[in-house]
Amino acid sequence: MRETIAKDGLRAFMGTVAAVAVYSVAGASAPALLVVFNAFSVVVLYFSIRRGEVFGALLGTMCGLAQDAFSLGVFGVAGITKTLLGFWTGYVSRRIDIAPFTRNALFMLVMSVLEMILWVLITALVRLKSVNVEGGLLFLQPVVTAVLGSSLFVLERRIKARRSRGA
Amino acid sequence: MPLWEKRRSALVLAGLMAFHVLLISIQVPRGAEKSLFARAVFFLYSPVQRVASATVRGIGSLWNGYFALRGVRRENQKLKRENFFLSQDIRFLEDRLENTKSEAELRASLAEFEGSLVAARVIGVDSANPHQAIVIDKGSIDGVGKNMAVCDRTGALVGRTIAPVGLKTAMIQLVTDKDSSVSVKSVVAGLTGSMTGRSTEVCDLRYILASAEGGTEGEELKTTGFDRIYPPGIRVGVIQSVDKDESSPIFKRILVKPLFRFDTLDVVAVLTKGPGGGL
Repeated sequence: MRETIAKDGLRAFMGTVAAVAVYSVAGASAPALLVVFNAFSVVVLYFSIRRGEVFGALLGTMCGLAQDAFSLGVFGVAGITKTLLGFWTGYVSRRIDIAPFTRNALFMLVMSVLEMILWVLITALVRLKSVNVEGGLLFLQPVVTAVLGSSLFVLERRIKARRSRGA
Repeated sequence: MPLWEKRRSALVLAGLMAFHVLLISIQVPRGAEKSLFARAVFFLYSPVQRVASATVRGIGSLWNGYFALRGVRRENQKLKRENFFLSQDIRFLEDRLENTKSEAELRASLAEFEGSLVAARVIGVDSANPHQAIVIDKGSIDGVGKNMAVCDRTGALVGRTIAPVGLKTAMIQLVTDKDSSVSVKSVVAGLTGSMTGRSTEVCDLRYILASAEGGTEGEELKTTGFDRIYPPGIRVGVIQSVDKDESSPIFKRILVKPLFRFDTLDVVAVLTKGPGGGL
């Protein structure tokens, strides 16, 4: 039991390191890309579907806090939204079939939109100021997250299929 | 089966939620100052950011720097570096010449900035809004501290260093951040006010009375030094529009376009001996 928690914690940490690396690469390539692309959300969605709600919540906490650490916003706002994103994504994905690409993408889109709504509401509540939507570009973020997240599953399936053919 | 096993998921979620709510609650009354925990998370992940950003730069310059133009590239980088420092010197020289009367005063004010520039590379931008903050690859080891002014290649003001400042990384609050405020003066009409960010591409020039004369589109703004963070005479932005403020009729509504260009912000200069340095 203790070993499982420690392993999950370590995996969540590695997942967060991966998210920070992807976020940094995106930021170094084109800073404006970060408005439409949230590496932390993609990582949380992908691993929550694969490993369930408890791991999703843990990874959501770590990724959210890492995102907050690289921002001037209130520390913990992304943490709370990503925790809920990870938990509910893991929880719901175990109860419905999201294997086909379109269903998978739609599910991720719904979860990303819900995360964004929650983030906007909490930010407005905590900072008493509205969020800058970058001329509407920010609303593209859930779409990009859903497409990238689903593409990861497609990629994973293809790699597995190629390996099994090779074996 | 014990309660923990039965309600494991719900208990984990409840615990994490309680942790986050507590974390947010203890910060809200304190304002923007980062907690020890927030700093620890920043320090934990900033090396990853440095490595990732260096990898992108390395891959990007592999062809130009090695295969094709190895010698030329090296020379070019040296010249760019020299040019960067010379541009900064010229800016300060021009600004000092405007405000200084005698040669002795000029020499004294120039001596203030001698060896006080630290060139840094931008390795990250704010994860929530790029107009709020950036992360640079210089820290306390290089002499960078809190509240130091930061300029771009052309000497235009970018922002100031804020906590957390790591050993080899530091966070810069941009002048476009909504919590940023810079004391500025227009160069022609001499209008003095406070330039505050909106977390967008433009800023507001506040506290200019509606009865004040002057203030036209395109007029340049420079720092006054009254805020004791930014040295006086640094170019900040140009007036974009001047209107009546409907919500507060005693003041003008002035929008300012900052001079630093976000899309070309790759290298910056930190002024380590400015009025804010060492605070």
